[in-house]
Amino acid sequence: MTTISIEAVNAPPLRRHRRLPDKWAWLLMAVVAGILLVWEAAVSWLHLVPESFLPPPTAVAAAFVELLGRPDFWQAFVFSLQNLAIGLVLAVIVGVIVGLAVGWSPVLRFTVAPFLWLLYSTPKVALAPLFILVLGLGNESKIALVFLLAVFPIILNTMEGAVTVNASLVNAARVYNVNGVALGWKVIFPATLPYSLAGIQRGVALGFTGEVLGEFLGGAGGLGHLLEFAAYQFEMAEAIAMVFVMVIVANLLLALISALRKRLAPWYDDRQVMYGA
Amino acid sequence: MSAMSAIFASGPNIGRRGLASWLAGLSAGGRAAVLAVEVLLLLVVWQLVVGVWGLVNPVFFPAPLDIARGFGELVASGSLAANAAISLQAWLIGFALAVVVGIPVGLLMGGSLPVDKVVGPIAWTIYATPTIAYQPLSKAWFGFGIGPVIFLVTVSALFPILLNVAAGMRTTSPSLLRAGRVYGASRFELYRKVFLPSTVPFLFAGLRQAVVLATIGMVVAEMTGSSSGMGALIIKAANTYQTDQAFAAIFVVVIWSVSMTQVVSLVERWTAPWTRKARR
Repeated sequence: MTTISIEAVNAPPLRRHRRLPDKWAWLLMAVVAGILLVWEAAVSWLHLVPESFLPPPTAVAAAFVELLGRPDFWQAFVFSLQNLAIGLVLAVIVGVIVGLAVGWSPVLRFTVAPFLWLLYSTPKVALAPLFILVLGLGNESKIALVFLLAVFPIILNTMEGAVTVNASLVNAARVYNVNGVALGWKVIFPATLPYSLAGIQRGVALGFTGEVLGEFLGGAGGLGHLLEFAAYQFEMAEAIAMVFVMVIVANLLLALISALRKRLAPWYDDRQVMYGA
Repeated sequence: MSAMSAIFASGPNIGRRGLASWLAGLSAGGRAAVLAVEVLLLLVVWQLVVGVWGLVNPVFFPAPLDIARGFGELVASGSLAANAAISLQAWLIGFALAVVVGIPVGLLMGGSLPVDKVVGPIAWTIYATPTIAYQPLSKAWFGFGIGPVIFLVTVSALFPILLNVAAGMRTTSPSLLRAGRVYGASRFELYRKVFLPSTVPFLFAGLRQAVVLATIGMVVAEMTGSSSGMGALIIKAANTYQTDQAFAAIFVVVIWSVSMTQVVSLVERWTAPWTRKARR
């Protein structure tokens, strides 16, 4: 319940060590390679763990490559990402508009914000079975779940951003006779943008949870369904490869939003958000 | 927490009038009263729309009184107590494991640059992926039941704790450290008197985040891989169209999540009162 984003503190490399990233990257790669080697040794050479339980990295890699060549995998991929995209776009539109409105209007903030806050901190995944009950097993229930899970962090962060807009900026704009919509567009919106993007970043992760959970509970297609099925069949190599696919997708999505944040709000200082909020 | 305070912040909208200024002028008790009236109003309208006028199918969205009845049924049949006990057990074990592992590893990351550079990216990659992705694996490995629930709670709660502690260590003000050294603080004293106080607010921020994520992990794991626990109870109730019971069970989970967050904040106020001022 805070924009103290540890992402912000951790993500940018410390300026002092900018000379050294290669060294650390090599070290990281060496450690990862070491882990994979131990894993491979423990399973295929020393047989400490049965292969059907935890397949060696080589088997996982083979399954991964095989997966990428399967048309049903790509079908599932498109199914999941399409639902995710639709749900997220809706969540961003509604979240930013509601967040700005509630953040800007003291009356709305007082009357509506406590409920938004309560809904934000509610584990809404618990509502998933009801969504499937109401909207069925198809796309609609997944899109609705993505929306429901993603929208609240966006609202709350946008609201917080709108509240913390520097009053002297608003006053300066008013002095120059900038009012109403222009004030919102030229001052409030840009000042709020970094907060919204932080909310969107969290919303994407939660939306992903919604999509996969929807597929687990009412399997009609998608990556989650494929993963569930592989694990159910005890095709562990394929299941682990599927998990890697999800790890890659989730991290790419977050990286995309980080890049967007740098592009759209280059003035944005993470530390300011941390301490100034 | 900061969003909660944002509700009562004055905001940039200068020169408000009418209702806004009346609300702004209310005392804390007055505000609470207005909110209470609002909640009551909401419940009455909900009851009217669903229960009396029948505008919404009550199977999909039961009225407050139906939910209260569902709650009564769950209590009377004993299924609430049985499932809540199992969830509680899984949640507490998983959360304790996450704390026990997360804090030392976070401290290690914050204290040593090589550890940070190696563990950090790996931890971030795992943290960025919704833990639900690991659920089928944990079900295959730990079997149907409480095992995967504990696993998912632990994985959900571990990374916010670990990464926040590491971030807190790393953002310790260098000038404070220098001052400590100038006054001849030993290594231990530096940790005890400089690193610890500045890391604690981050730790509690991480714990609060972990509470929310752990509860999500618990519900997800129980819904998709267990026959007992609150998540399983919700699924069973929904699948048999007893949505009043499902909503009652969801309500219990919400209360649990919110109150655990409050417990973390309370512990913070007892053990680290200085964070109030620093964190705002």
